[in-house]
Amino acid sequence: MTLSARPLSPADSGASASRPWSHRLWQPQHCYWSRFPDPRPVLVNLGFATVLVIIAGLYLATGTLSLSLPEVVHSLLGQGSAMHQFVITELRGPRLLAAMFTGAGLSLAGCLMQTLARNRLATPGIIGIDNAATAFAVASVVGTGISLAPQAMALTGAACATALAFGLAGATGTRGYRFIIAGLAIGAISGAVTQVMLSTVALDTANAAYPWTVGSLNSRSAGSVQILGYGLALCYLLALLLRRSLATLQFPEAVTTALGVHPGRVRLGGLVLSVLLTGLAVSVAGPVGLVALIAPELARTFNRPGHIPVTASALAGATLMTLSDLAGRTLAAPLEIPVGIVTALAGSPFLLWILLRKSPDIRP
Amino acid sequence: MTNTTRYALLWLLLATVCLLSLLLGAGASGIQDAFAVIAGQGSDEVRFMVMELRLPRLVIGLVTGLALGVAGALLQTLTRNPLAEPGLLGVSAGSAFAVALAILMGASTATLTTLVSQTGALAGCALVLAATRIPGVGQDPIRLVLAGATLTGLLLSLTSLLMLMDQRAADEIRFWVTGSIAGKRWPQLGAALPSMALAAALVIGIARPLASLALGEKVATGLGHLPGLIRILVIVVVALLVGGATALAGPLAFVGLVVPFAARALGGADIRKTLWFCLPIGPTVIIAADTLSRLLAKPSELPLGVITALIGAPVLMVIVRSRRVPSL
Repeated sequence: MTLSARPLSPADSGASASRPWSHRLWQPQHCYWSRFPDPRPVLVNLGFATVLVIIAGLYLATGTLSLSLPEVVHSLLGQGSAMHQFVITELRGPRLLAAMFTGAGLSLAGCLMQTLARNRLATPGIIGIDNAATAFAVASVVGTGISLAPQAMALTGAACATALAFGLAGATGTRGYRFIIAGLAIGAISGAVTQVMLSTVALDTANAAYPWTVGSLNSRSAGSVQILGYGLALCYLLALLLRRSLATLQFPEAVTTALGVHPGRVRLGGLVLSVLLTGLAVSVAGPVGLVALIAPELARTFNRPGHIPVTASALAGATLMTLSDLAGRTLAAPLEIPVGIVTALAGSPFLLWILLRKSPDIRP
Repeated sequence: MTNTTRYALLWLLLATVCLLSLLLGAGASGIQDAFAVIAGQGSDEVRFMVMELRLPRLVIGLVTGLALGVAGALLQTLTRNPLAEPGLLGVSAGSAFAVALAILMGASTATLTTLVSQTGALAGCALVLAATRIPGVGQDPIRLVLAGATLTGLLLSLTSLLMLMDQRAADEIRFWVTGSIAGKRWPQLGAALPSMALAAALVIGIARPLASLALGEKVATGLGHLPGLIRILVIVVVALLVGGATALAGPLAFVGLVVPFAARALGGADIRKTLWFCLPIGPTVIIAADTLSRLLAKPSELPLGVITALIGAPVLMVIVRSRRVPSL
């Protein structure tokens, strides 16, 4: 083990040998313009936003009824034919919004949780928070005498699972693989509870709830998307405010405290935000795995090490989710593949690669 | 308590659980009626229920429990990893995916299903063994399990994808994929038994070489065994056992973790002792879980895999949270 060879912090320049290629593309040695804000995150965000707009246009254009891009623009401006207008504003538009919101929410939650746990595997999907939120939401749908809204139940489930995962990590810390295994067990238990509830209700109800339990945008309700939108806006602003303090968590605790930041409070704040985002996103789309792992990873690859890419993560998450749902809708055309299956198939190889590399380092 | 008394008590426990599994169920008949059938009397209706519905389930539970417990113990000793469990590492998911593929293609005979399932398990085992050869992963029990869980998730997603393609096959696969031994009859068991018997014979042959391999590769070579051959034989046995059990009961996670864990706690770390203790504990766990699955949601039934996950996941947490994951 080469413990001594590790850099002291991710921001340390000693890490340059292990930096991804993208960091070497453009890296000013002497930052003469350091009084101005760093232009790199802005450029990266613009890049992600451009890709998102292109994919959203494609998403609106493709389907059983194919539209050309000018037709899409006309319909969006309210000048298209009645048929096109209906397809865009009633069918694909709301679904696109749901996809972007859930993707952004899950990815932002993942980015925050990875940062505060200092573990790139600590995302809501992997440590079982998705599954717990689903179990609680299914309980309210299937109706075990509780008539709370699915959102409230999903939030409760997410909060319980997070408390359990981080509470159990008390002795071992959140930085290693051990923390992830405890989360895996929580996820397995929650999944089993969901199965119990689905197997006790009538077959039709179970069949109707099934796509949602693997993660799908098909059975969303308009109200839940709206709530997610508000929640996402609020959490995004709070995350921007919290970003500076979160960045100091990468240093040893003594340094964080010396910088005037209370580490416990910052962690709690970040956790609350990610629980809110996860619960709301799950109440719309069910447990869509691995978006929360891959999108922040993508955002970090293009940004400087040490930078916490809040905006870039949200944009990347929205892009990935839209792309996955587009693939799910179109690849097996008359059939629709639930978006959760698409993300699981596309994301698992990447997760396997993280786990099976030679280097045991899993810091974000 | 000496080891022998403990061992006798375990078999007694298994016998009690078996008896309870015959007596208790969701039907309207009481315990006395079921008892009368066992004693050789009783009405035809109750006789049918006990002999045709509950007895096959009991026997299948026995076979599945034996297979999964022994397979778990073997795989854990081979990979030197107390968390290596066929269900967690993707071996069961591999055979489940193979069976789902076969059902989609139209295969319906029990013999074919068993063969396909065992082939899938063999592929899964080969992947696990390949992963343990990656430097850094083989020494870290927890990373191996996480990689296995990811592989399981990938294979289950592929299975869901297959289910979407064909509604008829989906209904057949869906109940089976959560794990259940309900509604299984003698033909299925008959199809799985020959390969299970072969596996049992192989286990008797390799127990002693495997115990010496646990002391280190050099020791095993010095004692005249061939480490490479032992590894291959163990992998084949695990594939036969897990594939057979999955064909019978669907992918049951956590059984192969809980049973050897209890066996090691009661009998000590020697693989031969562990195997002896796995024999009564495995069936006890499965049959108790199956009986519970009938009783908890009474007119309807819970999938067996759900109960084993509810029992096994906390055990996993306990093992991981203990200060140091002991390596075998």
